[in-house]
Amino acid sequence: MSLIDHDKQTAPAAQAVDLQKTYGSGQTAVHALAGINVTFQRAQFTAVMGPSGSGKSTLMHCMAGLDRPTSGHALVGGQDISRLDDKGLTRLRRDSIGFIFQSFNLVPTLTAEENITLPADLAGHKVDKEWLGYLTKQLGIADRLSHRPSEMSGGQQQRVACARAMINKPDLIFADEPTGNLDSNASAEMLGFLRRSVKELSQSVVMVTHDPRGAAYADRVVFLADGHLAGEMENPTQDTILERMRTMGA
Amino acid sequence: MWKVTIKGLLARKLRVALTAIAIVLGVTFVSGTLILTDTLHSTFNSLFTSIYAKIDFQVRSDAQFNTKGISAIRNPIDESLLTTIERIPGVEAADGQVGGYAQYVAPDGKPVTTGGAATLGLNFDSNQQISELRLISGSAPTAANDVVMDAGTASKYDFKVGEQVRILLAGPPRTFTITGIATFGSSGNLAGTTLAAFTLPTAQQVLDEPGQFDNINIVTTPGADKAAVQSAIAKVLPPGVQVVTGQTVVSEDTSSVDQILSIFNTALLVFAFIALFVGGFTILNTFSIIVGQRTKELALLRVVGASRRQVFRAVLGEAAIMGLVSSLIGIGLGALTALGIEALLRGFGTTLPSAPLVFGARTVIVGLAVGIGVTVISAISPARRAVRIPPIAAITERPAEGTTQSRRRLIGGSVLALIGLIALALGLAKPAILLVAIGAVFIFIATAILAASLASPLSSLIGRPLARGVPGKLGRENSMRNPRRTAQTASALMVGMALVSVVAVFGASLSKSTTSSVDNAISANLLLTSSNGAAQVSSTVPAIAAAVPGVTAEATAYQGQFEVRGDVESLTSVPPDNLAATVTVHFTAGGVGALASGELLIDTTTATNDHLAVGETVPVDFARTGPTTMRIGGIFQSNALIGSYLTGNAFFLAHFTNPSPAAILLATNGSTAVTSAVTKALAAYPNVQVQTRAQFEQAQAASINTLLGLVYALLALAIIIALIGIVNTLMLSVFERTREIGLLRAVGMQRRQIRRMIRSEAVILSIFGAILGIIIGTALGIALVQSLKPGISVVVVPASSLVIFLVISGVLGLLAATWPSRRAAKLDILAAIATT
Repeated sequence: MSLIDHDKQTAPAAQAVDLQKTYGSGQTAVHALAGINVTFQRAQFTAVMGPSGSGKSTLMHCMAGLDRPTSGHALVGGQDISRLDDKGLTRLRRDSIGFIFQSFNLVPTLTAEENITLPADLAGHKVDKEWLGYLTKQLGIADRLSHRPSEMSGGQQQRVACARAMINKPDLIFADEPTGNLDSNASAEMLGFLRRSVKELSQSVVMVTHDPRGAAYADRVVFLADGHLAGEMENPTQDTILERMRTMGA
Repeated sequence: MWKVTIKGLLARKLRVALTAIAIVLGVTFVSGTLILTDTLHSTFNSLFTSIYAKIDFQVRSDAQFNTKGISAIRNPIDESLLTTIERIPGVEAADGQVGGYAQYVAPDGKPVTTGGAATLGLNFDSNQQISELRLISGSAPTAANDVVMDAGTASKYDFKVGEQVRILLAGPPRTFTITGIATFGSSGNLAGTTLAAFTLPTAQQVLDEPGQFDNINIVTTPGADKAAVQSAIAKVLPPGVQVVTGQTVVSEDTSSVDQILSIFNTALLVFAFIALFVGGFTILNTFSIIVGQRTKELALLRVVGASRRQVFRAVLGEAAIMGLVSSLIGIGLGALTALGIEALLRGFGTTLPSAPLVFGARTVIVGLAVGIGVTVISAISPARRAVRIPPIAAITERPAEGTTQSRRRLIGGSVLALIGLIALALGLAKPAILLVAIGAVFIFIATAILAASLASPLSSLIGRPLARGVPGKLGRENSMRNPRRTAQTASALMVGMALVSVVAVFGASLSKSTTSSVDNAISANLLLTSSNGAAQVSSTVPAIAAAVPGVTAEATAYQGQFEVRGDVESLTSVPPDNLAATVTVHFTAGGVGALASGELLIDTTTATNDHLAVGETVPVDFARTGPTTMRIGGIFQSNALIGSYLTGNAFFLAHFTNPSPAAILLATNGSTAVTSAVTKALAAYPNVQVQTRAQFEQAQAASINTLLGLVYALLALAIIIALIGIVNTLMLSVFERTREIGLLRAVGMQRRQIRRMIRSEAVILSIFGAILGIIIGTALGIALVQSLKPGISVVVVPASSLVIFLVISGVLGLLAATWPSRRAAKLDILAAIATT
């Protein structure tokens, strides 16, 4: 296990070691993840790409403690989360991980501000007002805080979700197709913000996407195909990504 | 997290309100009952306190036998005791009291009725320290035929001072002159009891025995040492006579009223409990559906860091808040209901002394505890299901609801059913009502659990006649789609219908048993009985009736309390002669001879249970004549009308002073003219009703039906709550299937057809619940009746009533579907399809 660095200070943000996930059994078994090894560095914006069914969503679910791997290890901040019980996973999600979903997933009955502070409220933390002010200003939703999700545009809702993901200053943010339901302007704003948070706040971000334009905002792209790691690329551009995808497809 | 809970509730106002109605109604029932009984308790307590406010002591005879019942049986005391007591230093005033039956006859010739309260005759006492009677016009009675009437009766029937009034008495009725009209304290009469105050000699003559008092009330001189006076009085009393404080009498009277109130209280609370129990099913169901619909939201909370415990508390928190608000509303409505019932009682002529509503802390505590308790307990199972939602459900489509639990459900349900059956069997055998109730609750819960397994096949069967068109077919499919929900919704109605069926079986059996016990025991053509509970048949009636031409035989039956082998029981007596023509006693041992020789006859049940046989001697005790022994001279077939103990009239009359006939049985030559002749001969006795045997049976059945009607009315509340549950479930399913309904509309289904689809589902739901309920209820009813043998001798299953219940359930289901089906039909097609 020399591959794994358990030190909380020096460990990578997240790491998958021989990660396997199998659905069903016997003849009908589907290997969503067929033993993947991948490392997500700290203060880095990583994009995970791959065609439908490549296992990119499953990888994210397992790394985020939403789903349990069949075998192998999922490490977050050096901690093997595949061994955590429900209480441990809850604490992990609450304190160490932030989520951004394709369909925003805000609580419809709560205002924007209440949605943002929900993780802090759940943890029983006092909300860091300064941090809340900074986030909402950066995201341009400071004047929308008393609105309900139904009174906001998709872009605004996703920015609220983004603020919610960051309110507890997590070690790592997982974004699952965060721009999938947004128009191009809103997408660019969202991706720009994620990128800035990596550069300026040293936030670690992992984003699952199949949009090369979005992936080009990342520091590094990881390609998945049929549950296997199919390559990676540092400092990608939209063209290099498209080029790589063409060769993978061939 | 509280924010999520409270905002969640606010966002679902309508659903919450619909569900909350169940709790509101239940708590209203509970708190209304408590407020009413508390108020009546304080009313009577203050009434008794005011009567005895100035009376320091009462001298009376000791209570006879160990009567734990409503009031003790006491013998009169000799009037000579009064002068002895008056001479004791420290006694300022002492007066003898006489009381008994005296019922006014209204100007229209009918007896003045009180709606259950007594019609009291007493001696007029001018000493205002001792008597609460206050003349408001006229003067005290002085002549033998003078009477002072209570202001309540005088104003109701417009009697004036100087007028004549007939009064029905234990002896022959008499006409009196009204010399005065009096209030009792500040009220028109004594809490509904009418009062006729005579001179002391008249009172003794018509109510009691000459030279006797019921008791003597004593007021001490101001400043006298009360303890010393009491012991001085005690010294002069003969054996068997006691002196007690006025306060003792107040607390005795209050506690005997409390005994009646507690029966009343318990009876009402049973129905409140039933309503809440049914409400519990509705809540369980609503919360299950809400949790199902909020799967994504609850999963999201888990994703952003809510622990299982926080999700559990969020769901239970909603229940607790809902319970709290509903309970508060229920308690408020309960106070209004109590006010309404009090007004209703006044409307019936029961003039209670006006007292403010007693709103005790107990009412609030019990109301809140019950309301919040039922809601929270019912929400536990849905909350546990909420906890099991995996966080990943926020992102992916939720995996289909697991049906793997069906085996666990089957085992759990069967175990509960078994526990219920055992508790029920033990409870019925004992008999222990609480055990029976616990058994029934277990059986209901078990059925609700097991019903999920039955829901699909049974819904399919019930729905078959409806499934001719597409809407009916879809409705049937919908009711089969989620068996668990169908079962839960139908369960509320199941409980309601089961209880209604129990009552129907019990009522029909009781009715039939009563008629057959009359048929078995009575061969007379005519029966003379008192026309209402308070009235007493005059001792002169038998002779008058017997003298009517055409009456071939007459037998007077008496009934009284005696103590046999240490227990207070009811003793019936009949004359040995004329028996064959009037009363039928089926002897299994001994015979009519035992009646003539004053021996005790017992019924077969008592003989078997107490292992008694002819020839044995048992100890008995009579209030007037004291302890003695009786030889068992015969054993007869058990009959509810005769009772367990029977003897001859000669023996009875020797041990009871001036008893009032319980019934007078006449054999006639069969001509209907005789009936009218008897009625005419008894014109002076309007408190006696003349009935043929068939009329008597009908009257008995009618009074049973009145009682049943009341019980049905109280159970209706549970049925209404169950219907609200059906409305709620349908509303939620419509909401849940918005897309599907939109799609159906898009492919050409008409609004009318959509409505029909929802209605079909409702009818299937309610018939499903009704069938389960009627089956279980009938079984429970038969078990109940069996356990009451021989009190109820025949088991009758009223098939026609049960079929009517089934039809009513279907109609109620249609009714419940009105609003949800309209709502579904109104859905905008585009909006419905666009909704995610």
